Amino acid sequence: MRLLNAIISDIRFQSKQGFYLVYVIITVMYLIILSLLPESFLRIALPLVVFSDPSVLGLFFIGGIIMLEKGQGVIQVLVVSPLTTGEYIIAKVISLSVVAVAAASAITILSSSETINWFLFLTSVVLTSGIFTLFGVVINAGCNNVNQYILKTIPYMLLLVLPCFSILGSPLLYPLTLVPSVAALRLMLGAFTQITWYESAGLTLYLLLANYLLYRYAVKIFENKIVFQD
Amino acid sequence: MIQIENLEFTYSNSNKKAINNMDFSIKKGEIFGFLGPSGAGKTTTQRLIIGLLRNYKGSIKVFGKERKSWGKEFYENIGVAFDFPNLYLKLSAEENLKLIGAYYKSGRRDPAPLLERVGLLAEKDVRTENFSKGMKMRLNFIRSIMHNPELMFFDEPTSGLDPVNAHIIKEIILEQKSAGKTIFLTTHNMTVAEQLCDRVAFIVDGKIVVTGSPKDLMLEHGKKILKIEYLKEEKITSEEFEMNSMGQNENFLELLRNYEIKTIHSCEATLEEIFIKLTGKNLL
Repeated sequence: MRLLNAIISDIRFQSKQGFYLVYVIITVMYLIILSLLPESFLRIALPLVVFSDPSVLGLFFIGGIIMLEKGQGVIQVLVVSPLTTGEYIIAKVISLSVVAVAAASAITILSSSETINWFLFLTSVVLTSGIFTLFGVVINAGCNNVNQYILKTIPYMLLLVLPCFSILGSPLLYPLTLVPSVAALRLMLGAFTQITWYESAGLTLYLLLANYLLYRYAVKIFENKIVFQD
Repeated sequence: MIQIENLEFTYSNSNKKAINNMDFSIKKGEIFGFLGPSGAGKTTTQRLIIGLLRNYKGSIKVFGKERKSWGKEFYENIGVAFDFPNLYLKLSAEENLKLIGAYYKSGRRDPAPLLERVGLLAEKDVRTENFSKGMKMRLNFIRSIMHNPELMFFDEPTSGLDPVNAHIIKEIILEQKSAGKTIFLTTHNMTVAEQLCDRVAFIVDGKIVVTGSPKDLMLEHGKKILKIEYLKEEKITSEEFEMNSMGQNENFLELLRNYEIKTIHSCEATLEEIFIKLTGKNLL
């Protein structure tokens, strides 16, 4: 019940702060750009654009959300309430996943008439959103302002985004799938193209594990840096 | 309600003890004032009891159980009002209360009576970003008591409030005490402490230098003298008399009989004077 209230609170906070309006504007921009692309190029561009939505955008959104909560002092209030750190973080992950699913689905439905594997699509959006939101919580815990967050995000972005290009290269680069963002992108591409059941199952399980481990780490970092300010 | 024994705490980025061998206890239904200048360790002690700092030495027992053994359920029975407003600025006053109230088992009360009490009912739908500091502080305050906690921590609860609203907040604090609630009040406002607290502790450099009821301390450290101002030959004249055996003091009785008395004051010490006397430090 407390978790549900936290999710509703987060959705209300994000909506009132104008995050959803920004999301709608970005989604419309994506749609305009995608509508200008030739059909052959769209097949590659669409999964990449959809992937960037919960990942890159999600990372910046979670940064902004927590920074606003810090700035308004409400984290202090939550810390002395019965809401646990775990519930606080899960609420952030779920509320941002809901938006990511809505935006990614809208972009996909409105940009392409080709059939996709919706189960894999939704799974990859949710798991990607989770990973990047959790990374955002970890990065944010030690930051006092937006500039610090952006600076600290750059190396994480490079570590998470650069390996994604390995998908275009030799199969010898497949071990880079151990980087969670690469696994998430492979799963996303699998929703749009062909993928074996065992690869999609393996990627899903791996991403679930990555989400779980990151969640545990995010709770620990959040408690050290924000709750107890060690 | 709270028992502190041999408490010591050092911040990880410092070699100096922020809290040094501190002992005190607070009974149920008591308003306990923690007084001292900025940086003395008031907020650190409060944060240790609330559970926002860990790795302390000694013992902090709250509700009969060591603080570090409590989980998040501890906060169901705790209300905290910080000395600065911390509100969702894009949400209205009522939304702020309902949102935080939703995290408590007993927090789903109608916020209207509390809003009315602090004069914010008419502004319940106004976004708090449009509130003055005083309005934010009042909202902050009622948010800390809306879930009916047993133990409350108020940090400078009247800071930024005009005298009328400060009076309302003090009234509510006294009502909470009458309802059997325990209150830990952190302040450097001696008047507030004098008006509200059953007992006060003066803290300097992480140590408690004296504990007692404001009344007892004021009498103990004051002079047993009565100061009278009266009208003599159209000029206000002042005289002091020993309070012992005043009924037999002819000078005093004659003054009462023959002159127009303007003021009569006993000379007990103020809490501020006691603090300066005991510590050699100023409160601000």
